Amino acid sequence: MAISSPSTGDLLVILRHPPHGSSWLREGLDAALVAAAFGQSVSLLFQGDGVLALAKGQQTGPLGQKGTAATLDMLSMYDIDSLHVEETALERFGLEAKQLQLPARIADGDSISHLLAGHRLVLTF
Amino acid sequence: MRYALLVEGAPYSSQASHSALRFATTLVARGHQLVSVFFYHDGVYNAARLAAPPQDEPHLYDAWRSLHAEHGTELQVCIAAALRRGLLDEREAERHGKSGHSVEPPFELTGLGQLIDLGQGVDRLVTFAP
Amino acid sequence: MILHILNRPPSSSLAYRDALAAMAGNDRLLLIEDGVMGALTSQVRHFQEIEGRLFALREDLSARGLEGQCDASVLVVDVDGFVSLTEEADKTVSWF
Repeated sequence: MAISSPSTGDLLVILRHPPHGSSWLREGLDAALVAAAFGQSVSLLFQGDGVLALAKGQQTGPLGQKGTAATLDMLSMYDIDSLHVEETALERFGLEAKQLQLPARIADGDSISHLLAGHRLVLTF
Repeated sequence: MRYALLVEGAPYSSQASHSALRFATTLVARGHQLVSVFFYHDGVYNAARLAAPPQDEPHLYDAWRSLHAEHGTELQVCIAAALRRGLLDEREAERHGKSGHSVEPPFELTGLGQLIDLGQGVDRLVTFAP
Repeated sequence: MILHILNRPPSSSLAYRDALAAMAGNDRLLLIEDGVMGALTSQVRHFQEIEGRLFALREDLSARGLEGQCDASVLVVDVDGFVSLTEEADKTVSWF
C-alpha cells in the first residue's frame, strides 16, 4: 500500500487532530487544497490523533456535519498524493496502513524531520 | 526580514493573541517588517469590531488597529472561517441579508490563498495557536 | 535549522511528543505560554534528548511565578530573544 512520494515540496500540512471533534482537521485540509489549487506542491503528514482522519467508514454527524472523509477523496483531484502517516500513531490505535481510506507512506524515525526540512513552509493543524 | 503571523486563537480565550501582539511589536522594534497578520480558526474573532473588554485589560482589537496604523501591517481574516462564526463585513452582511456587520477596515476578509501567498512570500511565518 | 514552538505542558498534553518526533538533530525548541511548565526541574526530563537546544520564554515563566523553578539546563530568553531565534532558524513550526 505504501506509495513512493517525494519528501520535498512547497508546503507541508501536519494534521494532528481527529475528525469531527474540532474544526482543525477540516481547516488544515482546506489550506492544503487552496495551496494545491494555487499550483503549489503540497504534502500531508497525519500525525498523532490525526491518523484517525484516514480511518475507513467515517460518516456524517447526526446534525449533518460533513466531517472530512469526503474531502480526503478530493485530494487526488488536486494532485495531492504525497501523503504520510506516522507509524507510532498507527500502532497506538491498532491501525494498519492497508486499513486506511487512502494510501499513505509510513513515516518513522528520521523521515518526519526530513519531511519538515524538505518543505519551504510547514503548517500544523 | 519580512515577517507574517498566523493567529488562530480567539482573543481573551487563550494567550495566543497576546503572544502574537507582543511578538509583533518586538519584531518591528528590531527593524523587521511585519507584512501581515492572518487570522484563521478561532483567531478570526480578533476582528470583531464590537469587542468591549474592561478598561483595565489590554484592548486587543485596538492594538491590532494600531499595528496597522503605525506599521502598515495588513490584517487579513479568512473569509470562510469568519462567515461561519458570524464575522461579516458590510459587503458580506448585505449579501447574506444581515442587518449589521461585525468586521470593518483595517481588517479585511480574504481567502485562504492569501495565507498561502504570505507563506511563500515572506521570510518567516510564525503561528500563534490556542 | 527549524525553531519549534510549543505552548502546551508535558504534564497535560502529549503535543511535546509530536514536536520531539519531528525535530532534527540541530533543531531548537522554544517553550512559550503554558508550555513553560515543561522547563521546571520536575518536568524537564521529558526534554532530555534535546538538552542544550531547549529554550523557554522568560516573561511566560515570570508571569506564572515559575522563573525561580526553571531548570538550569534550560536556556531562558526574553521576547527579543524569541524574535532572534526566529531570525536564526530557516523556518518555525508551532505545536499546540
